[in-house]
Amino acid sequence: MALIHKSTLMVAGFAAAIAFTPGVGVFSADEVKAEFPTKPIKIYVGFKPGGRTDLVARLVAKHIKEKNLLSQPMIIVNQPGAAAAKAARSVLKAKPDGHTILHWHHSMLISNAMSVNKLHPNKFTSIGYLGGGSPVWTVRTAAPFNTLKDLIDHLKANPKSLTEAVPIGTIPHLMGVQLAAAAGFKTRYVGAAGGSDRLAKLLGKHADIALFSAAGYLKMKPNGIKALVFFGPNRVKSIPDIPTARELGYDVTWANPNWWLGPKNMDKAATAKLASVLKQAIMSKELSGWFNSHALDPYWTDGPAAMKDSLKVLAKLQKVVKDNNITKKKKKKK
Amino acid sequence: MEPLFNSLEYLFNYWPMTLLFVGVAFGIVVGSIPGLTTTMLITLTLPLTFFMESVDAITLLIGMYVGGISGSQVAATLLRMPGTPASIMTTFDGYPMSQQGKSERALGLGITASFVGGIVSWAFLAILSPPLAKLALTFGPWEYFTMVLMALVMLASLSQGSLIKGLIAACLGMMVHLPGVDPSIGQMRLTFGFENLESGLSLMPVLIGAFAVSQIFKDIINIDAKPPAVSVGRKGMFLNVADIKKHGVNFIRSSIVGTWIGILPGIGANIAAMLSYSAAKSSSKTPEKFGTGHEAGVVAAETANNASIGGALIPLITMGIPGSVVDAILIGALIIHNLEPGPLLFTTNPEIAYGIISAYLIGNIIMFGIMMFAVVHIAKVLYVPRAYLMAAIIMFCVIGVFAVGNSFFDVWVMMIFGVVGFIMGQVKMPLGPFVIGFVLSPIAETQLRSGLMATEGSIMPLFTRPFAATFFAISVVSLLWPLYSDWKKAKAKKASTAVE
Repeated sequence: MALIHKSTLMVAGFAAAIAFTPGVGVFSADEVKAEFPTKPIKIYVGFKPGGRTDLVARLVAKHIKEKNLLSQPMIIVNQPGAAAAKAARSVLKAKPDGHTILHWHHSMLISNAMSVNKLHPNKFTSIGYLGGGSPVWTVRTAAPFNTLKDLIDHLKANPKSLTEAVPIGTIPHLMGVQLAAAAGFKTRYVGAAGGSDRLAKLLGKHADIALFSAAGYLKMKPNGIKALVFFGPNRVKSIPDIPTARELGYDVTWANPNWWLGPKNMDKAATAKLASVLKQAIMSKELSGWFNSHALDPYWTDGPAAMKDSLKVLAKLQKVVKDNNITKKKKKKK
Repeated sequence: MEPLFNSLEYLFNYWPMTLLFVGVAFGIVVGSIPGLTTTMLITLTLPLTFFMESVDAITLLIGMYVGGISGSQVAATLLRMPGTPASIMTTFDGYPMSQQGKSERALGLGITASFVGGIVSWAFLAILSPPLAKLALTFGPWEYFTMVLMALVMLASLSQGSLIKGLIAACLGMMVHLPGVDPSIGQMRLTFGFENLESGLSLMPVLIGAFAVSQIFKDIINIDAKPPAVSVGRKGMFLNVADIKKHGVNFIRSSIVGTWIGILPGIGANIAAMLSYSAAKSSSKTPEKFGTGHEAGVVAAETANNASIGGALIPLITMGIPGSVVDAILIGALIIHNLEPGPLLFTTNPEIAYGIISAYLIGNIIMFGIMMFAVVHIAKVLYVPRAYLMAAIIMFCVIGVFAVGNSFFDVWVMMIFGVVGFIMGQVKMPLGPFVIGFVLSPIAETQLRSGLMATEGSIMPLFTRPFAATFFAISVVSLLWPLYSDWKKAKAKKASTAVE
């Protein structure tokens, strides 16, 4: 049986090869499309290997291959640079046939709101959200604050008495700005690029507050830090006792999704096929289990809904940037 | 101590041990071929390590570092052509010794000296690093900024040639870092509308261009130059007790000088050898013998250049600041493997921090073994036609650079910096300060601006924080001292001519 199956496939492959040869095509264009994918699918990741975006893409590709959900393998292409804008541009330049896609997250919205570049969600085809994660706000374990209320009370009584380790113009910065605006307090900033740098600044007492992804927090907690608030929409299983900002009365959330994108006007059949296998992957026991144990939320949001949500988040971010005068123009006026 | 033993235990598995052995052997071979440098070898190996475990990758690269600096003495001694800049001082006495028919003795002394320097500086590395990492955690933006400033100034004033050329090179390197995202406000600067410049100029294309490609351009010019044949035996290579006694003080002094120079950020093996050589000369009873084939000269140079490796690894694993140009690339390697070198490396990734320490120890032992028994064969490597080597190397340069970022733009950047590096070499502008400026200025800028952010614009911490104030004072003195001594010399000269 297996043999017959194999030879049938080979014949089909041969036929497909003929169909693709210019001038020899025997199938109509629609029939060819139905066979997506016809070659390996390149997943662009705008970061170095090893980060969350890269890791999730690799796990998904591995799962899809193991379960044979697609007839072709998925290949991860790491093209770091300009906060993933480089990889995004490579994908936008590709043929919208579903063989070149992008795995990114909402840092695109931040860059857009900060007018760092002109990449906008509506330049892409949204395939969907494949789960996501939220960050926490932390202080040193020895710090005299045990709840977010302690911290806010202290800052209200002594404005600007504490420093926040933030890379300006990124998620940690804008989260702090939003919470400060919602709760009515003021901090000072000290620049700190990566998560490890933020941890070093926090432990070395050069900063008093730092933001980490919930997954990063789980890893770094033993070094002597404690989380006061979680910025997700709901509490997560791996850190059940950390309250959300919303529970504490501040409408500040950040649920950074693993967003799968393609070039604009991507082939509809290919988009649908990709969405269906990605959904199958995240719903699987293996992947959702991995997400849960890494303080990430496993879920699937369809393309159009994901796009709608992203545009909403973008509008909100633009308002935050405008209300708090964080862009260049305002800086010059000072 | 336990983590150190754990990591030594891991190192004695067959795979890491193979990598270390291969690394040292490759390092020795490449180091001994004039025109191929350790820096080149490590930059080109880096892309190959992407798919290795981080510890294994670092083990391999450390092996190459040790092997490369040690191997470079072969050509320096036999041909008066330093395999890498680290062995320039070895040519002074090693080559005359070889001319007097004492090649084996010179190499034996050099190899043993390399080994001793390596082991002594390893002791410093293993003992000093963990407490220094703890101290470094208390270092804030101001300490880091002043430390980097100190490194830049010292490097510019200590490297070969004029202070002005060194400073110009450092400034050029700093300028190259400027385009891209402004680290403090997250906005684009100096990209001139080129989307490719938004991520700035990446480390690897600039380094590979400046070191490997420029060297190839330089070698193309005299590609047919063939070194004269020299034969080497094995007789008289091993030192006896009397030799150890004779050179004991020199071994220890040169090891300490080398380690210390290594620790100072930015300056590496060549300067360590230079300073240790002059220290040996000035404390010698027969300084006039230096440069004529004096054993102490070989010992001083080779002990110090190897000791500087261990010293240079100290700021790397405790603070994430490169102690030399090769270390700048090792930092790149750690970053590519998603590790952030800094004071937390011992806590977050002890296997890497201790992995570096143990690989350095065992690497030195392997180096000693290979060099002592195979130097006869290594000497033959010197005569490999360079035309073949260069063709292969430029190919690896292109593949390597492309592999890091999957972007062809980087390949062009590499080529452009190949030309830049070549031109700098032609006008005798040192490459060291250029690269260190490029690597360190992002640290200096980010730290200074984040310090200013935290103090809301005040620069007082430069004077009030003890470590920052000390580093700042040393920077000012190192910048002004050469100017002052020049002025004094000029004045003395004027006075003496006036008397005449």
